[in-house]
Amino acid sequence: MAGVSFEAASKVYGDGTRALDKLDLTIEDGEFMVLVGPSGCGKTTALRMVAGLEEISEGVVKIGDRVVNGLSPKNRDIAMVFQSYALYPHLSVHDNIAFALKIKKVPKAEIRRRVDEAARILDLEPHLKRKPRSLSGGQRQRVAMGRAIVRQPQAFLMDEPLSNLDAKLRVQMRADIKKIQGDLGVTTIYVTHDQVEAMTMGHRVAVMRKGELQQVADPIELYNRPLNMFVGGFIGSPAMNMLDARVERRNGSFEIVVGDVRIPLDETKVAQHPGLSAYKGGRIVLGIRPESLEDAALAGEGNGPRLRGQAELREALGSEMLMHFTIAASPAVTNEVRELAEDVGDDRALGQLAEGPSARASLVGRFSPQTQIREGESIEVAVDARALHFFDVDSGLAV
Amino acid sequence: MEATRTRGLRVPRGAPFVLPYLPFLIVFGIAPTIYALDLAFTNAGGGWVGFHNFVRAYDDFRFVPAFKHILIYTIVWLGALMVFVVGLALLLHGRATRVSATYRFLFYIPGALAGAAAVVIWLFMLDPTVSPGSFLLRHVLGASIFAQSIAPGNLPYIFAMIAFWTAAGGWIVVMYGALNTIPPDLEEAARIDGAGPFTIAFRLKLPLIRKWIAYMLILSFATGTQLFVEPEIVQHASFGLVPDTWSPNQLAYQQAFRYADFNVAAAIAVDLLLIGLLGAVLIVSRSGLFRAED
Amino acid sequence: MGVRLLGLGARMAILLVFAIFFVAPILWLVLAPTKSDHALVTSSPFSFGSFHNVGLAWRHLDAYSDHLYRRWIANTLVYSLSATAITLAISIPAGYGLALGKFPGRKLILSLTLVVMIMPAASLVLPIFLELNALHLIGSVFSVILPFSFFPFGVYLAYIYYATSIPPELLDAARVDGCGEWLTFRRVALPLAKPVVALVFFFSFVSNWNNFFLPYVVLADSNQYPITVGLSNLLASTPSFNPAVGGGGQTTNIFKPELALATLVAVIPVAIVFLFSQRALVRGTLGGSVKQ
Repeated sequence: MAGVSFEAASKVYGDGTRALDKLDLTIEDGEFMVLVGPSGCGKTTALRMVAGLEEISEGVVKIGDRVVNGLSPKNRDIAMVFQSYALYPHLSVHDNIAFALKIKKVPKAEIRRRVDEAARILDLEPHLKRKPRSLSGGQRQRVAMGRAIVRQPQAFLMDEPLSNLDAKLRVQMRADIKKIQGDLGVTTIYVTHDQVEAMTMGHRVAVMRKGELQQVADPIELYNRPLNMFVGGFIGSPAMNMLDARVERRNGSFEIVVGDVRIPLDETKVAQHPGLSAYKGGRIVLGIRPESLEDAALAGEGNGPRLRGQAELREALGSEMLMHFTIAASPAVTNEVRELAEDVGDDRALGQLAEGPSARASLVGRFSPQTQIREGESIEVAVDARALHFFDVDSGLAV
Repeated sequence: MEATRTRGLRVPRGAPFVLPYLPFLIVFGIAPTIYALDLAFTNAGGGWVGFHNFVRAYDDFRFVPAFKHILIYTIVWLGALMVFVVGLALLLHGRATRVSATYRFLFYIPGALAGAAAVVIWLFMLDPTVSPGSFLLRHVLGASIFAQSIAPGNLPYIFAMIAFWTAAGGWIVVMYGALNTIPPDLEEAARIDGAGPFTIAFRLKLPLIRKWIAYMLILSFATGTQLFVEPEIVQHASFGLVPDTWSPNQLAYQQAFRYADFNVAAAIAVDLLLIGLLGAVLIVSRSGLFRAED
Repeated sequence: MGVRLLGLGARMAILLVFAIFFVAPILWLVLAPTKSDHALVTSSPFSFGSFHNVGLAWRHLDAYSDHLYRRWIANTLVYSLSATAITLAISIPAGYGLALGKFPGRKLILSLTLVVMIMPAASLVLPIFLELNALHLIGSVFSVILPFSFFPFGVYLAYIYYATSIPPELLDAARVDGCGEWLTFRRVALPLAKPVVALVFFFSFVSNWNNFFLPYVVLADSNQYPITVGLSNLLASTPSFNPAVGGGGQTTNIFKPELALATLVAVIPVAIVFLFSQRALVRGTLGGSVKQ
């Protein structure tokens, strides 16, 4: 068992595209690290570089203390779970799991012991003699896990192992994988594009975009203190609302002007964002998470900042009400926003962004399920001014 | 990953697996082609003679007749393939798969007998004294003895029939398979739109298997122009009635082994090669084989 | 309704006519050795004679030139099987390397294979003869076996199969599980290639068995002939179709029944391979186009 580290690791293709750009990342021994990001961000490339399935163009990758650049996969002592499971169709479940051990000429008794134990952990005992084609998706996924577990490797590498399963099964498997990893304590690098998986499974999460590492931190930190607009918008669902705003100083205190609404910031908040003063009088991107918005009628204290808007759509989840509404303000239009909309496939948002600066912004709020608001009504929305996020318009960095 | 580095040595992935095949490809594929080209343009001593060999080959009194024979043969051969293979495949497609499979199997059996055995069988079939088709021989070919069956005028058609007999089954299976790749929804949609079986066959199915028909024609054109086995064996059985230089390939063979003139033989072989390539180019361009939409 | 019935009837009639066309000659061939030479001419083409006649025909055939016929069959078996064995050994890995490998010249070798494939062997036989002559191989069995082993169509089949049926991730899994390149092939790619091995075996064996031109050119000694060349030899030196031949001096009892028997026996091994490969064959020709 060992940690894995990337030191300025890069992947450059013949035509100059950098799929991975100088990645610096250290994964501790026994840690469950999730690499997350939209497709094309380089997360799978990074994983495959650890596996030895991708050449490392620049920099160094280490497993434990060993530099593994140039080592073939078979010499790296890592196990991998593939998105398509990649089970050997001509072998039974038992032989699939035992395959790597047979190659390494592990004694038969030892093979039997290890396979039986893996089968027990994964509930595969009744299926050992069957062939992959007669198994369900969930069973196949477990066989793929079994194949990895039985190796007792220095690291587990998982490439979107749950994306081919249906939603309910995915939730179940998430918990199973997390438990197994915790029990075995093997360093794990887990790649996914689903930020819910990332948040629920990882000890730490590394957000990537276009080959570059954006931020690596534990899930709570990532959620509460995103380092830039991309991370802020990527983590959390529904996504953070991004608005075009201005910072103004009045009577010694800071105010955020968004549309025709002024949101004053208290001293504690200002102390948390020392960089804000540099933006005095200038533009800034205001990020508001949906849970920081509430139906004003149910919000309590009557003198907090209020947004005035038009309710467009309500989605009743039972535990809360997702309210889509528009306000008289401009949405933030930056590359990050565009990319995030593309990644989610939000054509409507993309269309709006393409139209250019608009007078109304669409927001999503998590309102209490008791809200009486109906679609089409004019509404007042309470904003939790302590939970606002600020980003630089040009660099996207958090302020 | 592009390569596997083992102990510092970089071996391009997959290359060692192709290595044993390469000497065969070179010795029996590439080298003979180059050698044939070389022979065609040089003389017995190895000196360059330009197109001299080609001219000499052409001047031989048997050259033009041989190519005339092969031209008629190829037209009949390809025509029969196009019409009957595609037609039979269409007839078999779409209904009663059990029956269809039985017919396909029956059509396919002669394919096992390609070459000499097939020709010998047909020698019997062409002998009015023993053939089950003697009625046809007498009334279609006007033949009451073997020698009349193989009269020079009949030869291109006879050879085409023999070649068709052995090759059709295989191609019918291929065409049938090609027809099976057509999504059944298309046919249903056409039927709902009011198309009858003929319309569906000619305007829907046929254009969709265009690619396969082109492959069949290209391969058959090349093998057709290179006809050797059939005329050679019939010649052995005919007591000299059929000349031993009926087809261009036979002429090349005679030039090489009777007159020891390998250069002229090579010139004829190169002629046949070029014709094969030309045919392929023509068929490809006329059928739009490599059009992007497919 | 009446039109449909008519159409159905016409369809059946056409199929039946062609079925007769394809099958009748073979039926005739199977029944011919049971009749005497005289009976072939006088009795119905599809009548059954007797097994006694078959035995007689075989004795005559076997006696021809001191069991030469048996030697021909044996030769054809040796040539076909050895060449097919070599073909499988070089073509399956080559198809694998071309489909799933990545090395300079890969596309070139593939293109050359395709080009040589559509080039008929006949135009290459004369240069191959000269090559073999230069290598002093004329007269040895390798002058037949080695050229037979070159089977670009087999390489192409293997290439198509591997390119469409083996996901590269499967090979990655094997590599991660500890296989080097050779083990990956032997333990994963090869076991999964059973369908295409059967296909290549079939096409290669049949092609070798039926090959006429190459052995006709390179073999001078009739003891080395395969059955295809042997049949034409029988034809040329016996009176079945050449009444003048076989007259003076030597008496060969090779007449039509013997010739028919010779052809029939020559066909049996291929027919057997044919029947057994039928299923693999039909699946194989559709294999590339059907996604699982």
